[in-house]
Amino acid sequence: MMNNSELFGVSAGQMRTIVAEGLKGGDWCDLYFEQTVYNDLLLRDGAVASGGFHLDYGCGVRVLNGEKTGYAYSESTEFQSLMDAAKAAAAVAGKPGSFKAGPSIPTAKPPYLMQTDWSDADKKQLSAWLEKLEAAIRSRSPYPSKVIALLSWSVSNIMMYNSLGELTSDTRPLGSVTVTAIFIKDGRTEQRNISRSYRCGLEMITDALLDELAAEAVKDLDDSFAARRPKGGRMPVVMAAGASGILLHEAMGHAFEADFNRKGQSVFCDRMGQRICKSGISIIDDATIPGNRGSILYDDEGVPGQKTYMVHDGILTSFLHDRISAAYYGVLPTGNGRRESFRYNPIPRMRTTYMESGADGTLEDLVASVRKGIYVDKFANGEVKIGEGDFTFYVNRGYLIENGRLTQPVKDVNIIGNGPRALADIVAVAGDLKIDDGTWTCGKEQSVAVSCGIPSVLINNLTVGGE
Amino acid sequence: MITEDEITLARECLDFARNAGAQNCRITLTKSTEDQISTLDGEIDKVTRCADRSMNIALFVDGRYGAFSINKLERDTLKEFISKAVETVRMLAPDEFRVLPHPNRYCKTALTGRELDSYDPSYSLIDAGQRRRRALDASVFKRCPELPGGARLISEEGEYSDSEYDVYLIDSQGLDCRHTETSFDYGVEVTIESPKGNKYSDYWWTSASKQDEFNASECSMTAIRRACGQIGAKPMKSGRYNMVVASNVASRLVSPLINALNGYSLQQGNSFLVGSMGKRLFSDKLNIIDDPWRKGESGSKLFDTEGVATRETKIIENGMVVRYFVNTYMSGKMHHPLTGEDAIRPRLLAYPSDDMDMNSLMALCGDGILVNDFNGGNCNQATGDFSYGISGQLFKDGKCVKPVSEMLITGNFLTLWKNFLGAGTDFRRCATKLIPSLAFCEVDFSG
Repeated sequence: MMNNSELFGVSAGQMRTIVAEGLKGGDWCDLYFEQTVYNDLLLRDGAVASGGFHLDYGCGVRVLNGEKTGYAYSESTEFQSLMDAAKAAAAVAGKPGSFKAGPSIPTAKPPYLMQTDWSDADKKQLSAWLEKLEAAIRSRSPYPSKVIALLSWSVSNIMMYNSLGELTSDTRPLGSVTVTAIFIKDGRTEQRNISRSYRCGLEMITDALLDELAAEAVKDLDDSFAARRPKGGRMPVVMAAGASGILLHEAMGHAFEADFNRKGQSVFCDRMGQRICKSGISIIDDATIPGNRGSILYDDEGVPGQKTYMVHDGILTSFLHDRISAAYYGVLPTGNGRRESFRYNPIPRMRTTYMESGADGTLEDLVASVRKGIYVDKFANGEVKIGEGDFTFYVNRGYLIENGRLTQPVKDVNIIGNGPRALADIVAVAGDLKIDDGTWTCGKEQSVAVSCGIPSVLINNLTVGGE
Repeated sequence: MITEDEITLARECLDFARNAGAQNCRITLTKSTEDQISTLDGEIDKVTRCADRSMNIALFVDGRYGAFSINKLERDTLKEFISKAVETVRMLAPDEFRVLPHPNRYCKTALTGRELDSYDPSYSLIDAGQRRRRALDASVFKRCPELPGGARLISEEGEYSDSEYDVYLIDSQGLDCRHTETSFDYGVEVTIESPKGNKYSDYWWTSASKQDEFNASECSMTAIRRACGQIGAKPMKSGRYNMVVASNVASRLVSPLINALNGYSLQQGNSFLVGSMGKRLFSDKLNIIDDPWRKGESGSKLFDTEGVATRETKIIENGMVVRYFVNTYMSGKMHHPLTGEDAIRPRLLAYPSDDMDMNSLMALCGDGILVNDFNGGNCNQATGDFSYGISGQLFKDGKCVKPVSEMLITGNFLTLWKNFLGAGTDFRRCATKLIPSLAFCEVDFSG
């Protein structure tokens, strides 16, 4: 098997020379080599009649001068092309810089579960699996009209080298299945989007996964057909374990990313060490969960993936750092320097963001404690305004809570709140933490695979869209 | 710019595909360069140089279809890649509707790529010093005037960029098209702090395809004014209000209509406009056209990704749906004429008169809420139900009186557009979708 140095056609001596060229414009230089091969198969109208593969290859050169960044990339890894990129990145040169990299951190065990390489995939067998998935959905419900299923898998070979002389390599697998199913009943249309994504190999394609996806596609379908818009306004919201972790991602996670804080933009920038929510609540960003979509062996600056407590027992304890912000704050980088591809410079990004289980009982206890509110368990997208802390997320499915019981199904409402207030308004956390395995992708400047999770929580006062 | 050698290589790839067993093939070769200069608080923060080349290859093999891409454009690599791709296509199920368009629909007027006058020949003359000056000149951080209400500017992040984009499209039936454009852009995001210690952020941006039309001098102050306008913002009481949506964000309410008219959505039943052709579903005040040939503007196109010629056409006429967007594939599946894959530059026409803007729409409504930014939200494409976070201003007698935030609008697009009251002429030429300020009645706001 070819090693990464051979794959990218560059020697250690050449990398040292390129970095030396970059250092003419700053006090730090790193190289990020990437080859990603992405494959897909698409089932539509009962057949897998579309598919392909895509090769993306290149190298990014970054020069730091203090907190300033010069960045250039080349789609060729020939020595001269990389030297040209280094010269372009070195254009950031100005006053003498002050960037000081933190010490290296020992590496950990790869958080990937690849047993069978994706290159062994038999596309006919995978096509048959997708067809079987459609059949499984149709067998579980009389209402399916159309099923679109996309199976995609990629393997990224990454090699990083920096001006400390550190050379790191990472081979990142990512397999994903997304299903869009359209159901029609009595003239009403219901759309379901289900997905699973894992950093593992071909072994993820199993009958068990197929059954899980099919079951979720039709779960509580009659309720969805009967769902209505609630009356809008402020109310208590019970968020079910798992995908409700979008709350943490939007309302808190982004505001904890250190670049927003370093620039004074985040609503949390002056609250380090302070209590920001009730005791017992801990919020984590974690790159080490085996097979999880948000897990990485190294971040895209060569810093090992880690488990980072942002909030511990209600106290804000850490932002999420890349090397720039870590140097600025005088702390170790937390392994959150991530990028979409070699075309982008790394910036602080989340990995898998979740809250630890609490001790306030069960989901049923939380629902029973609400006289009038809403329960939500399936979501689409979210957004946040960093300065104000105002966040939103879109609810695909939920129920009204009336006198402690789930009653009328609801769907297609946005929920809006304010991050610091919502954190302070978390009044109960159940003991049922669940990490969601959907195809979560964060779009802060660049698209990066992430994940989220949460135990069931009760938040006192959020604004729910309605009629 | 794409070189003659690269054009020759693209043509050779058609031969590689045929020799490997493909009956037909389409090659899209794209090449772009971009320089970005980012500033933070009036200082250069990041300098980025981007240069991309890639080739997209659509293969039609024994009644089967596959789509591939690669950015290693060396002859031997491409030959091997295409050979492997043809073998992959053979493993897929046949699909009778996967064919190239009929050549009589091809664009035959995009010969040089510069027919739409959206390429600035002086692009190649810009040097690093000019780029830095443009980025720094656009920043106001170090010369920010006193802000209203004692607010102070905390942070200003700006980015100047200029780019050149070149696409060359050919296929095995003789299609041969090219499109080139340049773009000069500036975007800025500011954060201010009120005397009470509350933070407010906002943004503004501008873009032009020619250097001499590019002017970023007002961007930062516009963003700052918008942020200051939000000081003290609170949600209003939930209820039904008139709504005016500012032109900078109005496309958010038009995109779901355009998406719902796309053949892929219609054919899958994943559209709230299934069966809508010829039906008057919206207010008769609503007229949307596709205006793809606007000269000198980024985003204008003479052909779509299949090489099918674009044309000026009506999409919604007096509230009636008159066009679906159907590409060759969906044309076969839907038994619907090929109309082109998407709206290139949709433009919503003014109503009731040609001299309206956001302020006159507020005057038309009297009282209501002006939405000048959205915060998240989504639309259920199958049903048209939507819910979006908003911020803006409460207005009375046509005048803004109070900032509004942390509110949601919720409804259904069929109802929303039945309640359409009017539109201005104040769309931004630098945007892809040419959507002016809009006014609606009876919109559900939650706060």
